[in-house]
Amino acid sequence: MSRLDCEQALDHLQDYLKRELTPELVVEVRVHLERCRDCAGHARFVENFLVMLETKARRETCPKEVRARILAALRAEAREG
Amino acid sequence: MAEPSGSVRSFDDEALPHLDALYRVALRLTADPTQAEDLVQDTMLKAYRSWKQYRPGTNAKGWLLTILRNTFINDYRRRKHEPVAMDLEAVEPHALYRSIEDTDPEGTFFAQIVDAKVLGAIDALAPEFREVLALSDIEGMSYGEIAETLKIPVGTVKSRLFRARRQLQGVLYAHAVEMGYIKPRETAP
Repeated sequence: MSRLDCEQALDHLQDYLKRELTPELVVEVRVHLERCRDCAGHARFVENFLVMLETKARRETCPKEVRARILAALRAEAREG
Repeated sequence: MAEPSGSVRSFDDEALPHLDALYRVALRLTADPTQAEDLVQDTMLKAYRSWKQYRPGTNAKGWLLTILRNTFINDYRRRKHEPVAMDLEAVEPHALYRSIEDTDPEGTFFAQIVDAKVLGAIDALAPEFREVLALSDIEGMSYGEIAETLKIPVGTVKSRLFRARRQLQGVLYAHAVEMGYIKPRETAP
């Protein structure tokens, strides 16, 4: 099996964390991260960034009054058919 | 065709749960709350009118986001003056981690940044960057789904995401330094 060097592993890191790699590449990246502390640290950093991004951005939701306005528009549309 | 009440019910069950996601993506596309509201309402009305074209049980979120995006491109994009997009292309891909690995290797400073600042930084990205970022990293769509929705190759989705995340990290890092959440790396004398 071919082995990734650090540069190749880092190039695949984001796709690895987003579960977008082929099974073969997943294994290669995982093996590299288990053996390379530097890249493993880098992976934790990127993972924390992605978690932060999703958590913070998803706290934003459609405001109640906007939701109510849209529902009213849909009900009016349904009545007019 | 389903009778109206049945169709209304399935629309309520399958489309309405995605209202928050549609609103968030609309905000990222328009970078303007008033326009985002109108865009979501237009999208939902269009979706309702063409609901019989939706195949029950398939990817409702992707279907709705496609309508939202087409509506945005056709009716909204020309209305607004785009903010000046940042260009940090010169930044070396993995440079940020190098500058924090000694002081805050896990990037805990990100957690200290207020939500509004993070959202503002996303909205300052170039439109094609904030779009893929919103769909992937906020709404959790796969690269394949995004490629299909935006009608671009998966490789383009990946490269845009890579650059979008890098730019965003750079901007948030600069903000964290400014706010004192993290100390900048001392440059060698």
